[in-house]
Amino acid sequence: MHSIVALSAKALPEGRVFGLDTQTLVSIGIQLFNGIILALVLSFILYKPVKEFMQKRTDRIQGKLDTADSTMAKAKELIAEYDSKIRNIEQERMKILEAARIEAAEESKKIIEEAKVEAQEIKRRTRESISEDKERLKEETRLYIIELSSLIAEKYISRNIDDEIQDKLFEEAIAELEDAQWQN
Amino acid sequence: MSLNIDNLWVINIAGLEIWITETIFNTWLIMFILILIAIIARIKLKNFDEVPKGFQNIIEAIVEIFDNFAVNTLGKKLSYIAPWYFMVFVFVYSSALFSVFGIRAPTADWATTFALAFATFVLMLSMGFKHQRGEYLKSFFGPHPIFFPLNLIGELAKPISLSFRLFGNMLSGTIILTLYYGLTPLLVQFGIPALLHAFFDVIVGAIQTYIFVIISLMYIRNAAE
Repeated sequence: MHSIVALSAKALPEGRVFGLDTQTLVSIGIQLFNGIILALVLSFILYKPVKEFMQKRTDRIQGKLDTADSTMAKAKELIAEYDSKIRNIEQERMKILEAARIEAAEESKKIIEEAKVEAQEIKRRTRESISEDKERLKEETRLYIIELSSLIAEKYISRNIDDEIQDKLFEEAIAELEDAQWQN
Repeated sequence: MSLNIDNLWVINIAGLEIWITETIFNTWLIMFILILIAIIARIKLKNFDEVPKGFQNIIEAIVEIFDNFAVNTLGKKLSYIAPWYFMVFVFVYSSALFSVFGIRAPTADWATTFALAFATFVLMLSMGFKHQRGEYLKSFFGPHPIFFPLNLIGELAKPISLSFRLFGNMLSGTIILTLYYGLTPLLVQFGIPALLHAFFDVIVGAIQTYIFVIISLMYIRNAAE
């Protein structure tokens, strides 16, 4: 029984460069089949996986670039925001300083006014005190003079006049003294 | 190194004789190496860094450069067919590069280039009908129905010209190098062939790969728009 596929026992046909016969058609068919097999294998083992890998990497890098771009945009926004804040802070600082200056000036004015009022009050009270002291001293002086005059007069009268004249003189002296005091 | 594409085995499948040529074997070899690289890249993909370097850089550069090129040529709408042309790009250029090591380029066999061009032709027709529907069919009859045979021949000629262009260019390099190795003394078979390989395999290979892929993409785009 012959097998379906068998090596021919005949001598090998002579080689050739080109021919147009059944063997050429068979060769074309085999080469076409080989081509299809090679295309399928290369496509599924090499071409598509490598392309997929490169596409994924491109997407990944693009994603990173997009993230970097968006981060950069956010950073720029933040910089702009901070710049604006810094500018506003300068203005704010100027405002606060100006307000503090005005407040300080007002406070200073108020303190000066209060000090003035207080000084006036102290002055007034001092004047009152001086006046009172003056009055008191006047009274004390008057009483002292009266006492002293009385003593002098008493000594003098006791030596030179009797009691009647003494009383009269005393009364006159007192009256004169009082008049003189009140006129001062 | 011979000019002929040798037959390595002949197998019978249900009575049909199939020649396993040097081209088919080399194609399997290149496929094996490319799949191995793809598997290594896929395993390493788990540990790929954010900043590519070394092997990761090479893999990413190949995929990214090709993807940008395909999307720019095809437009976003048709970019889903880019994986097929990624295979064409990698396979055609690898074939040219493996010639440096004495492996006969599979693209120096018309069967290979026609297989790739035929795929372009099928994609061109399907994209044309998918995106333009009746308009695409109508374009075969423009500007006047009398031009239909010419338009039809023009369309059928596309995969033929596409396949023969790549086949001719890759075969020319193979022929020149075979002649050089066959006709020169052993003394000059060191050093100098490196320049020939650099030109015919690396430079011409890159140019022909680019031309094949861009023309294929343009055919498809024109059909779809």
